[in-house]
Amino acid sequence: MPRNRLKLLRVTAALVFFAGLTAALVDFRALIPVATGHWFAGTQLVPSLVALATGASLSLAGIIIMVATLAAGRIYCSAICPLGILQDVVARLAAWLRRGKQRLLPFARPKTWLRQLLLWGTVGGVLAGWSGFTLSLVDPYSNFGRIVSGLFRPLATLANNAAAGAARVVGSGGGFYRVEPAWAGLGALGLPVIFLVLITVLVVLRGRLYCNTLCPVGTLLGLFARQAAFRLAIDQGACSKCAACLPVCKSQCIDLRAGNIDFSRCVACYNCIGACEQGGIGYRFAWRPPGRRPAASISPIPPAASMEAPDPQRRAFLAGTAVTLAAALGASRMPARKRAETEPDTTASAAICPPGAGGVDRFLDRCTACHLCVSACPTRVLKPAFLEYGFSGLMKPRLDYSAAFCTYDCRRCGEVCPDGAISLLDLADKQLAQIGEAHLDVEKCIVKTKGTDCAACSEHCPTKAVSTVPYGNNLRLPEYKRELCIGCGACEYACPVRPEKAIIVTGRRRHGRAQKLVEGKAAAPGPAGDFPF
Amino acid sequence: MKTRRDFVKAGFALGATFSLADLGGLFAADVPAAGGAPAAKAGRSVLVAVRDGDRVAMLDQALAALGGIETFVRKGQTVLIKPNIGWDVPPERGANTHPDLVGHLTRLCLGAGAKSVSIFDCTCDHWRSTYVNSGIEKAAQDAGAQVIPGNDASLYREVAIPGGVKLKRARVHALVLDSDVFINLPVLKHHSGALMTACMKNLMGVISKQDQQNYHREDLHQCIADFLTFRRPTLNVLDAYHPMVRNGPRGKTVEDLVEMRTLLAATDIVAIDAAAARLLGHPPAAVRHVKIAADLQLGTIDLDQVDIRRFKLA
Repeated sequence: MPRNRLKLLRVTAALVFFAGLTAALVDFRALIPVATGHWFAGTQLVPSLVALATGASLSLAGIIIMVATLAAGRIYCSAICPLGILQDVVARLAAWLRRGKQRLLPFARPKTWLRQLLLWGTVGGVLAGWSGFTLSLVDPYSNFGRIVSGLFRPLATLANNAAAGAARVVGSGGGFYRVEPAWAGLGALGLPVIFLVLITVLVVLRGRLYCNTLCPVGTLLGLFARQAAFRLAIDQGACSKCAACLPVCKSQCIDLRAGNIDFSRCVACYNCIGACEQGGIGYRFAWRPPGRRPAASISPIPPAASMEAPDPQRRAFLAGTAVTLAAALGASRMPARKRAETEPDTTASAAICPPGAGGVDRFLDRCTACHLCVSACPTRVLKPAFLEYGFSGLMKPRLDYSAAFCTYDCRRCGEVCPDGAISLLDLADKQLAQIGEAHLDVEKCIVKTKGTDCAACSEHCPTKAVSTVPYGNNLRLPEYKRELCIGCGACEYACPVRPEKAIIVTGRRRHGRAQKLVEGKAAAPGPAGDFPF
Repeated sequence: MKTRRDFVKAGFALGATFSLADLGGLFAADVPAAGGAPAAKAGRSVLVAVRDGDRVAMLDQALAALGGIETFVRKGQTVLIKPNIGWDVPPERGANTHPDLVGHLTRLCLGAGAKSVSIFDCTCDHWRSTYVNSGIEKAAQDAGAQVIPGNDASLYREVAIPGGVKLKRARVHALVLDSDVFINLPVLKHHSGALMTACMKNLMGVISKQDQQNYHREDLHQCIADFLTFRRPTLNVLDAYHPMVRNGPRGKTVEDLVEMRTLLAATDIVAIDAAAARLLGHPPAAVRHVKIAADLQLGTIDLDQVDIRRFKLA
């Protein structure tokens, strides 16, 4: 399709971003490099802006996307945003099920009030100190991450296990091995499932309605797109009103009667360019210095067709800039974090957040719950929370020690996190980061209640916060030293006492720093140089 | 041309493999007499103790003293080597069997005509990173072994253990149930709960995760000993090159290790663990599971009754 190189470019980029992010979020065998997920997630608008605003990293992807939108419209929405691309995939599947019969979506008027409400609601939420909660609900990348990590990943794991079973039957491992599917709890999985159903229904019935009306990120970029230097426009001289462009438009933004494209809603899929037999649709230079009214002759948009404002383009640009600044300000202010810093260290938290998060409040402020860390966690100790953090921590990752614990030498979550909610600590610091503390109840301990050896807790403890002391008749009783404990949960995981374990770990609202047990060289137990028997 | 020595060796090899591998599997509940190694002095079990060489040389010496690997592995047999792959730490930390031993023993078994050599452990830390960081997966694969996942619950089968006092049933890894030859290849370490982990304790890695917790709940030492009434390894080789003498079984740093440059080998799992206890400075009976196993007549705890063959390579 030499005539539609733009679409070819768009589709190629979309496949790369979609494949990269999906692979990183599905990767249940840690086959692709850790950096892959981190890099692809770092190209996403919201994580990048959060990282920049909080000073976590000099992430420029968000700025670049906004500048690109100012140059040529919402390129992000069809070429980079995985949720947008997922909708294109769903639409293709739906079209295939309908045996290729295309569905005509006529031009629809913009629902400006709804778009404004959702955008300013998001800004308000961020400014009110609910940045993490608000952004986690609206960020399209994070919504995509939760769908893939929570739903597609376990399904892929089941497929893998079926293949592993088949490979075993034919007598070779074939490189397959079984992996526990690790489903999230029903509560935490519910929202991504509902969201997937919602966008599936919307995309089948109304194309990219989610992107151009409901998505606040789309609306924000729409404000910039309306001001873009290059915009898709219809060449009135070439247009024969054949309407070939209408069935291929996902955004219902081509107003053929007025000869106008609402570029704030256009997701830059470029389908229309190829559909026009006359070659009448393409990018036109439409830049003018701010403040000057457009001369009708050079503007591709007749004044009447724009959003009924005295100078809509300028207003849009200013609004977009204001939104971005306000969101950045809100994110960097982080009221909750300041609040937490004045609290004592020891406040317990029902849920435990990962090492590098700094503390529950800082974490909940910054994390957008994209679940890339949940997918990357090798032991699957990271699980999406339901209400364990409280309502504001919905779907945020937490450490669940019932079936796993945090590996001492691992910091995978910090390596993949795109927005700095989980900082990548030096390994030495990670191994001292107190994310929680254990509570040992020796009266429940097997060694006391049954008078037999156990010490599963001390066995697993990597810091020797749990050691054993001689007890009774040649027994060893666990002993706990709080200052050495990092709260990794290995002891709680290993404790065999039921129904309630004899050692449990609670989270720290603000993470601390453990002491390190330093010992000299161990003494030889017997005679050197000879056999003791 | 067959010499008389060849004939005698072959005879011993045949006898040893029958009595240990095949019959051990067939009459699991029986408590056969300890020993069975070739050329044992009238019913006494043989323990080989080697010092002051590198690991591979000490293993070669120990096997030579037991009649060679062919004593234990016949052509066409399937072999399971069960190292200690418990913890996600590198080889120099001494928390796992050294990969050099795993690789070398694998080559010897394959060289003796083994149909296959399989390696696995039900790890304590995350199995993938433990297999990789212990260096064992690579060493085993390079030597030609099949490295089998230890986490996969579908690979364990529930069996009855009629000889057990506390342990009556357990889910045991299929490789233990199905392999012709079962070689136990642990590392010697301090253990904060069991006092010591050597050959007997290493066999906790062939049962499922839930059963490991059951052991801890139901009397750790008794269950460790009870398992031996079900199945004892064909051969035990203990890596005591630099045993961990404190903060075990995971250890914190290399400071927890003491260089001993020792390797033990025996078919009698009680005798080898009794000697292991001595290496760590304990009277053998102080390690309760060793004492219980001796009381169940699963082997010899009294080292004076054991034919100990000592070698110093330097």
